[in-house]
Amino acid sequence: MTNQIRTRIIGLGNPILGDDGIGWRVAELLEKEILDQKNRFPHLLIDIQKFSLGGLSLMEQMIDTDAVILIDAIQTGTQPIGSVSKLNLDDVPDLSAGHMASAHDTSLQNALQAGKLMGANLPNIVWIVAIEAEKVYEFSEQLTPSVEQAIPLACQAVWEYLTELEEKR
Amino acid sequence: MQRITIDPITRLEGHGKIEIFLDEQGNVANSYFQIPELRGFERFCVGRQVEEIPILTNRICGVCPEAHHMAGAKAVDAVYHVDPPRTAKMLRELLYSAFYVTDHTTHFYALAGPDFVMGPDAPVAERNILGVIHKVGLEIGGKVIQARKYGHTVVEMIGGRKVHPCTSIPGGLTKGITEEQRQQIEEMGRWAVDFALFSLKLFEDIVLKNSTYLDLILGDIYTHRTYYIGLVDENNKVNFYDGKVSVVDPEGNRIGKYAPNEYTEWIAEHVEPWTYLKFPYLKKVGWKGFVDGKDSGVYIATPLSRLNASDGMATPRAQEEYEKFYKTLGGKPVHQRLATHWARLIELLYAAERWVELATDPEITSDNFRTIPTEKPTEGVGIVEAPRGTLTHHYWTDERGIATRVNLIVGTTNNYAAIQMSTNKAARNLIKGGNVNEALLNMVEMAFRAYDPCFGCATHTLPGKMPLEVIIRDANGEPIRELKQNI
Repeated sequence: MTNQIRTRIIGLGNPILGDDGIGWRVAELLEKEILDQKNRFPHLLIDIQKFSLGGLSLMEQMIDTDAVILIDAIQTGTQPIGSVSKLNLDDVPDLSAGHMASAHDTSLQNALQAGKLMGANLPNIVWIVAIEAEKVYEFSEQLTPSVEQAIPLACQAVWEYLTELEEKR
Repeated sequence: MQRITIDPITRLEGHGKIEIFLDEQGNVANSYFQIPELRGFERFCVGRQVEEIPILTNRICGVCPEAHHMAGAKAVDAVYHVDPPRTAKMLRELLYSAFYVTDHTTHFYALAGPDFVMGPDAPVAERNILGVIHKVGLEIGGKVIQARKYGHTVVEMIGGRKVHPCTSIPGGLTKGITEEQRQQIEEMGRWAVDFALFSLKLFEDIVLKNSTYLDLILGDIYTHRTYYIGLVDENNKVNFYDGKVSVVDPEGNRIGKYAPNEYTEWIAEHVEPWTYLKFPYLKKVGWKGFVDGKDSGVYIATPLSRLNASDGMATPRAQEEYEKFYKTLGGKPVHQRLATHWARLIELLYAAERWVELATDPEITSDNFRTIPTEKPTEGVGIVEAPRGTLTHHYWTDERGIATRVNLIVGTTNNYAAIQMSTNKAARNLIKGGNVNEALLNMVEMAFRAYDPCFGCATHTLPGKMPLEVIIRDANGEPIRELKQNI
């Protein structure tokens, strides 16, 4: 089908750093589910990726897509562990705008702005499904139980985004 | 589900911190650079099949997974006492050269660039990659994206998947490349050589022809006389993938070379009470504190040290630049840390030239890309040069190949003592009489940014940036100024 919305779902994080792996786990589950239910979204061209990236490198993985849904761990300290939030990129403050500590840590907003300036074809829609994490500094392939339990809710949030995109079309 | 806004101050764990203590006159009494440490990786690896570790270690960090994969692959070869065929070694090095082009490009344009292109005292809001693109032109931005894209493409072709390669196994690789792929890789490599030459020209025009910057580079504030280490080939030329680690003293004399399995005879670690991370130093010289000189075992492992520790570059254009580097900066070794940015560009050119050399070797498309291991696994060490320094992986196994112990010395760790010294010296020289401003603090930061310290592994969760905190305390230890970024 022509004129489909090129939609990339990206599970972000580090699968061996405890709760930081939640994005990957959700993406893995979605890989199976979406394959089974592709007919639900005839206007979307969906692909699913898993990365441990940020900033410029993450921006590069968004080139030539129309919409991106990021799934990632978040630590606000104000939400119960395992809470699932749907965010826009603007909700994540662009703290590095003036002051980068490392090239590898450029904020995604900054990187997207730079990419667009340089003529890269980048999505206008970047939505985030964020899961409040507890342990992200210890090597482990296990999620804490509250985060593990959030997987269905996080998948649900992605489905909602996909439905919204399908309806937009 | 609800909508929230992230309060950045709540994420205080795992950030880099510089604490600067002032005396009663408002001058710097001392400063400490603390780096977060992720613990438990060794425990995480024990009990796993050893060939799984190169795949796992490339998840330690999202910044240089290729380096961890390669050091791990070489350690596993050593554990199984197997020497991969020439084609396998070349393919791994080809992947690694393309990775270097990507990584060094990013560093120069996004990290070093803002300080030199915009100026160290430019307003903070302009001192970033966007400012650089605005100033030097959109066309350059496009080239940066292109260079990175080509690097990623080669990594995926040889490494089997995007970003995190997975094709190295004991004795070689799981697959080779076709002639069609080879042609593509060669073409991209030739473009990368031109891009590297362009980058060196840009550096010359913007930095070397600007006497203020040249003075800044050559000045004493960013100078330390230490030992230098770096991997070299059999002709003592810089090599990122294979060889022995060359060690030179502050006068430039080579005091020896060590093979990967000899690293414990050369490197020891010092512990300080104020930080979790240990400070590696040269065992044969000894730990004398955070001091310069021939009697102090402090060494660095960076692009600058790799040039200092070698006799030259193995490719022709990079060799020309190497000679120009030492001629311009007054001979070998170069101790001025800001020269690391130039050294990094010379390495960029070498990596691109090496990329083409390997892609045009007649054996690169051979299907002899693996030697099947036949010996019982025991213990092995693998060393590569990660962009940020010598990377050592050491694994021990039982006779079934199950890991019983793992030790890693990662790139940035090598430089920890030197970074501490550089930060301290810059702070002492720049902050006087309690006068602290944004531009001065940036110049203190430039001291450690030259080393490109990387704690990528701690930065994956949103907002995904390395948090850094600078705290300045008065003579009573009370904080008088705090600067937080990305926290």
